[in-house]
Amino acid sequence: MSIRSRLHRWQSASREEKERDLDREIQSHLDLEAEESGARAARRAFGNITLVKEDVRATWGGNRLEQALRDVGYGLRQIRRHPGVSGIAMATLALGIGVNAAMYSAVDAVLLRPLPYADADRLVMVWDDARRTDSAKFFTTPPEWSQWRRLNTVFTDIAATQPGDAVLSGDGDPEELPARKVTANFWTVLGVQPLAGRVFTDEEDSGGVKVVVISYGLWQRRFAGSPQIVGRTISLNDQPFEVIGVMPRGFYFMPSRDIDVWMPTSFSSGMLRNWGWHDVQCVARLKPGVTLQQANEQMAALNLRVSGEHVKPARSAVVTALRGELAGKAQTSLIVLLCGSLAVLLIACVNLANLLLSRGAVRRREVAVRVALGASRGRLIQQFLTESLVLAALGAAAGLAVARPVMRFLETLVPETMAGVHLSLDWRVLAFSGGIAIISGLFFGVAPAVDGSRVALLNGLRDGGRGTAGARSYRFQHSLIVAETALAVVLLTSGGLLLQTFRHLQQLDLGIRREKLLTFVTPLFRYPDFEKRVAFVNAELDKVRALPGVVSVAAISRIPLTVTDQATFYKLEGQSNDDAREQVARTRVVTRGYFETVGARLREGRSFGVSDRRSDHPVAIVNESFANRHFPGRSPIGARFQFGRWGDSAYWYTIVGVVKEIRDGGVAADLRPTVYRVHEQADQTGDKPSGIVVRTSVDPKSIVPVVRSAIWSVDRNQPIARVQTIEDIVDRQLSGATQSTTLLGAFALLALLLASIGLYGVLSNAVVQRTNEIGVRMALGATRKQILLVFGTRGLLLTLVGLAMGIVVAAGAARLMSTLFYGRQPSYVPTIIMVSMILLAVAALACFVPARRASLIDPMLALQQE
Amino acid sequence: MARNPDKLDLLRGTLDLLILRTVGAGPAHGHQIAKYIQRSSDEVLQVEHGSLYPALHRLERKGWLSAKWESLDGKREFKYYRLTTAGRKQLAAEESKWKRLVNAIARVTAAAEG
Repeated sequence: MSIRSRLHRWQSASREEKERDLDREIQSHLDLEAEESGARAARRAFGNITLVKEDVRATWGGNRLEQALRDVGYGLRQIRRHPGVSGIAMATLALGIGVNAAMYSAVDAVLLRPLPYADADRLVMVWDDARRTDSAKFFTTPPEWSQWRRLNTVFTDIAATQPGDAVLSGDGDPEELPARKVTANFWTVLGVQPLAGRVFTDEEDSGGVKVVVISYGLWQRRFAGSPQIVGRTISLNDQPFEVIGVMPRGFYFMPSRDIDVWMPTSFSSGMLRNWGWHDVQCVARLKPGVTLQQANEQMAALNLRVSGEHVKPARSAVVTALRGELAGKAQTSLIVLLCGSLAVLLIACVNLANLLLSRGAVRRREVAVRVALGASRGRLIQQFLTESLVLAALGAAAGLAVARPVMRFLETLVPETMAGVHLSLDWRVLAFSGGIAIISGLFFGVAPAVDGSRVALLNGLRDGGRGTAGARSYRFQHSLIVAETALAVVLLTSGGLLLQTFRHLQQLDLGIRREKLLTFVTPLFRYPDFEKRVAFVNAELDKVRALPGVVSVAAISRIPLTVTDQATFYKLEGQSNDDAREQVARTRVVTRGYFETVGARLREGRSFGVSDRRSDHPVAIVNESFANRHFPGRSPIGARFQFGRWGDSAYWYTIVGVVKEIRDGGVAADLRPTVYRVHEQADQTGDKPSGIVVRTSVDPKSIVPVVRSAIWSVDRNQPIARVQTIEDIVDRQLSGATQSTTLLGAFALLALLLASIGLYGVLSNAVVQRTNEIGVRMALGATRKQILLVFGTRGLLLTLVGLAMGIVVAAGAARLMSTLFYGRQPSYVPTIIMVSMILLAVAALACFVPARRASLIDPMLALQQE
Repeated sequence: MARNPDKLDLLRGTLDLLILRTVGAGPAHGHQIAKYIQRSSDEVLQVEHGSLYPALHRLERKGWLSAKWESLDGKREFKYYRLTTAGRKQLAAEESKWKRLVNAIARVTAAAEG
């Protein structure tokens, strides 16, 4: 038999066989020798059998895998032998890794996961440029889309979407479904296929055919996933629509993830000439090779040229990447939170490193024995690192259990655009967790491994085995403490700043009185005729007003605090077309008594009254932003302006009142110039006062049934939707800020706790290590107080250095986080002072205990101890 | 571990050479090898019997020795080691290295004396 195959056989023989073989070989040797010189002499001549076997095993150990597995076994044994320390380590890791896994799953879901479109990075949104109004981009109009489609050179195609209304009736309660109107090429621009059926064609779109594509969610929820869904006719807005397709699960598009119905835009020829109808969002696909920059330049020039022929002033256009649009403000807060959780993990690892370094002193003897047996430094380091990795792996596994509740908590954090995101432990999150577990294990394991194996070579076997770890090791531990203190300071400061912002948001003046204000929506698609609509709205308001428990009631086109759209270009009397360029204001249609009902205050002028009937010379009320923009320091009362479409037919509106700011766009949204019209005079706009606000004297929710009855007494089939109080709306809008502030605050406190534990640990360890030295000092006359001060001040010094570094880094971090402060700069210095005080107090406590222990050492015992 | 200062400690490399040389003369098991080295060197080279075995296993792993349990008298079995072809080559290489070392030392000491 050849050598190679013989070797092969030897190597593949199992471990037990090898062991038995070796035993047999050694035994036969000893027997032979015993025959010659006796059993005892034989043993002596042989030497230490155990060591020999170890060495033989070492020659077998060329197999890397076996070695590694053996190290894992050692690691597990170590853990079992020191359950206390290992328990702390694993708990710390579980917390750190678990929270990070959860944070990453959120970041992944919102920012990293591929969007459900083909080649999503080539998709962009195209807007009108409205830079004058500080929001660089604005909804565009149907004719602009149509022209862009015809004339652009940078997109393969461009589609338009508009808000849609879809009240589903028939079996069951009428349900208002989130709906969106899209042009037929929407699907091809995005590059998506329906799950079942088909999408609508250009002919159906331009022909106004009543077809819809529905979402997977709606199909399951309302139609029980019935396979006969395609071809089924459903009643939307009291009209029959055929369901021709179902989109796959997980498909979504702006503005929110929960759109259930997609309908054709079916632009009429009138709509395609309406340059004032600004509610269109356009999505386009860049041609290969075209950059965002190029698209911007081209579209700006194109729109100026094209719109200039129809409106004055001409409008420019702006192109933005789709992904950024979808993520919104959550981008920053998620990244900040992820950094925060990583920082906490880092601090935890630093603590573990210190912990293991200290424990390394205890293990020196064991290490020395290994070295004497022939273990090389590399092997030792490998073994120590494996032990750390085992610890990290176990901690990570436990951490996944921690991750789940945190993920549920985080699901409320993502913006409304992405509502309904479900965070799960998919392979990406698991891979991330595995990755940071390994990195953590290496990070906190390498210092103890290197240190532990180095010292052993020098003097491990000396009695007592303490060795002089040396100033070098101390300095390392101390710098770790400084680093983790700095990190804790950064987290505390950031948390404090965020807390300020949050408190500010909570106490913000919304411009209305929030208590006992009920809201709901009565979609008015059943009243296309203007006069009939006005009559209906007045009738329903009269009925509700008469109810007991109702203080006042009014209607408005958009419930306050909820939406930012419904805005349009306008021009003041006396403004040139160039002045009015890129100038938009929000518009709302209200009924008389609206401002009184919501509790808004007038700065000057009057509210709408009975005298404001349908007329060619309508009036308007503006808000302070509008007044300050055009009439700073003056009164705008009596000034006139025109809306949207210019030309002879546009009414001139006269300003009769100025109202104090109402936060129409939401608690955190910016304040924008806004114009209010009374609905009797709103015939030159498509905005309808479908939102109802009711000020009650009793609990708002309690009168909902009677309100419904009151409205149905006017019109039996009127749908009523989205019943909620203003306080509900505010809570929901603040929930994101609530969660992120809470989380960051929790991270900060955790970091502080961990950093102080670390400080305590290192100082305690120093005291133990230097017990001898302390004894000597005391014997030479040092008082207890002096010893206390020596250790105490060392600890505080470390803290101070960490604090200083932390403050510097925190300043930078605050600048990166600035979008989270909602425009208001929080006061930095008081936060720093507060954080410093808290930190020093906690640090003092952490130092005091070991320092006191040092001072209480009995010098006699200390000197005896070796 | 009492050590007789007159007996020389063997370095690992030299032990390899001795083992290869011994086995080169004919198959042998561990005990025989130990005895052979001791006797051939007139008891100058004291090999701690135990330290032979790691060396033997190492040489086997390297492919220079092959091992097999055999019984010559039909009663007791011993693990006999043989030189492989590669082992023979290694032995030749080690021997020539050793000879060069010995000659070099001889030259230096001769020069020092002379």
